[in-house]
Amino acid sequence: MNLESISTISWISLMQDQLGTSSWRIALFGLSLIYGLIILPTGAVMSYLERKLRADFHARIGPSRAGHAGIFQPLADTLKLLQKEKYSRSTWTEMLWIGFYTMAFYSIVAVMPLGSIALLVNTDMSAFLPFWAALVLAFGTMVFGLSQDSVPGWFGGVRVAAQALAGAFPAIVAILCVGLQAGGFSWSSMAAVQGASPFSWTVANPFELIAFFAFVGGGMILLGIPPLDTGLSMPDIHGGVISSLYGKRYSLFRFSRFYGFFLWSVIAVTMFLGAWILPFGLSEILRLQERFILLGSLELLWILLKTVLLMLVVSSVAQVVPRGRVDHVTDFSWKVLSPFSLLALIGYTVWIGLRTFL
Amino acid sequence: MFKPTLECLNADVTTWEIGPYYSALPGPMKLKLRLDGEIIISGQVETGFLHRGLEKAFELNSWNSSIIYADHLDSEGAVFGELAVCLAAEEIAGISPPPRAQAIRLILSELTRISCHLNYAVKIGRAVGSETFTHYVLRDREKLLDLFELLTGARFSLSFLRFGGVKADVTEGFIERVIETCDLLRVRLKEYNDLLTFNQVFLKRTSGVGQISKEQVMRWGITGPNARASGVSFDIRKTHPYSEFEKVDFHVPVSNSKGTHGGDAHDRFLIRLLEIEQSLEMLKVFADKIPSGPFLETKSGSDFKVPRGEGWIRIESSRGFLGCYLMSDGGLSPSRVQFRTPTSSNLLVIPEVVVGLKIEDLPLVLASLDLNIAEADR
Repeated sequence: MNLESISTISWISLMQDQLGTSSWRIALFGLSLIYGLIILPTGAVMSYLERKLRADFHARIGPSRAGHAGIFQPLADTLKLLQKEKYSRSTWTEMLWIGFYTMAFYSIVAVMPLGSIALLVNTDMSAFLPFWAALVLAFGTMVFGLSQDSVPGWFGGVRVAAQALAGAFPAIVAILCVGLQAGGFSWSSMAAVQGASPFSWTVANPFELIAFFAFVGGGMILLGIPPLDTGLSMPDIHGGVISSLYGKRYSLFRFSRFYGFFLWSVIAVTMFLGAWILPFGLSEILRLQERFILLGSLELLWILLKTVLLMLVVSSVAQVVPRGRVDHVTDFSWKVLSPFSLLALIGYTVWIGLRTFL
Repeated sequence: MFKPTLECLNADVTTWEIGPYYSALPGPMKLKLRLDGEIIISGQVETGFLHRGLEKAFELNSWNSSIIYADHLDSEGAVFGELAVCLAAEEIAGISPPPRAQAIRLILSELTRISCHLNYAVKIGRAVGSETFTHYVLRDREKLLDLFELLTGARFSLSFLRFGGVKADVTEGFIERVIETCDLLRVRLKEYNDLLTFNQVFLKRTSGVGQISKEQVMRWGITGPNARASGVSFDIRKTHPYSEFEKVDFHVPVSNSKGTHGGDAHDRFLIRLLEIEQSLEMLKVFADKIPSGPFLETKSGSDFKVPRGEGWIRIESSRGFLGCYLMSDGGLSPSRVQFRTPTSSNLLVIPEVVVGLKIEDLPLVLASLDLNIAEADR
């Protein structure tokens, strides 16, 4: 597959040509569209699917009241949470926390790879930008925990920070591993080295497979995704930051955590699981026919489908594994994931070297 | 000479007072912890917040009412309180329940033991954040509550035992349902082991956590599964048999873990699963051989009296040694009732067992001790 055939065509320039308006307006419009039409609905769908999946595991029915088969339950939950809290004066620490979260949100949308057409940022360092977002998210959570003025809050805040540091290392090494294969860290170059068939995905290489597990595991630790979410646990005697959250703050927090999980899964799919490349050569056919809107839509649906499946697999694991203690989680990251990610990096480097010189 | 306190010298030491009403505690109690970072360096327990004057209530009500009050000693294992009071009164009055009543009592008490142990497993599952396991166990426990309902008409607070027997005969289909449930639970036990008991994360969370040594068991009078998890082979059903337990052939599971992990939270969990298995065996044998005959010697009316005297009875509840001292002056109500509850002993070990724990393990250790504040405070 040649690089040119799937190189990205900025949707901003496409729309600028058609509408003849300034790029910042189109970017703003695009961001709103991504939020309103992709992330929010995906969040609702994932919340519903996750609850149904969890209910299946527990031998329960799950959401069943709001709409047919409880399909509107996420909407009902959001409305309930938004109505729960009366207006109260925020402290400066809370405002700081919300500020961090907002920053993380926007940066996440800006770097999210949702197809060759819907790419907003595709620089040579694109793959590292989510780290910034995830670390900002973790920092925001830590500040929030420390601002709670309670022992559980402090513990939770410090644990989130410890987990973020521990999880970031194997994940970043895993990205280096993919970058070696792709010859760069832009989303388009990472997608370019993959095909539609699972055998041509990055993860098909044994070293990259190790890197994939290190990336997903590291991300789960970094973002506190269950069952590695000890810093965020609900019972406050454990020392979790969300034990005192309710109402609007709780819905904002849940939403941000979904964002983190979603972003990480999209990136994992982009880097390891064939990105947005459509099966049966559809990507190339549609590109040659210059049917960019259809191409963008299909790529978006395809990558979202793979992302949701990956998220459901991770959620399934969370249903059967007990929650680890924070030091067990960080130990797992430093003592298992990190050495394996380094092994993948070194192994892949040697592999490339042998392939080059032999 | 001025002696600075530890807090003055060590700025890392913080004090955290939890309770008395706190969702993560096993009941109304106060924990005063001193923490060095996340490590607990000392802990004190304060109880008494759930004192209801239960033992005094016995003295103010009729003999028949005392069975209902005995239910409230431990709402999860109501039968054990009832059985202790009935046996003590029967000892004073020299009443001997018919064999069929003894068998029904035994079946009910073993079913209650399983139910309590399953409830224990739920608490442990919750403490380690294993929601799926919790639901599995709760689903199976419902089957036991159904059995209670089928036999007694109530799921909790059964109020089924009577002086000299039981309130009613076994209902139609009850024995078949008991055997069916035993078969099902035997399969489920394997599932629990697959899902949690030998899960690596669970093992890491529970192994070596909250250890209780044999010496501590002896010093604080810890009994029941907690003692047997520490390697102390003591079971009232064997040492001082009651209700025809002497006729039952069963073995008492005792942990043989030694070294750094002996008597830890995992041992306490595992021993209860083994006890469930053992109770299932006993139930199967008893359900097949339930003798025919009357289920109550004589019906006791509101004017029921126990002759002057005193009785001391010990039984093996799901938590351990439950003792009941009963005194009668020959009147319409008991003149003195006092219980010796296993939770009272289990509470005593907390200040020792929490030292060196990480705060994150505290809910797990408290859950693993199987505390019931209601029976301790009475």
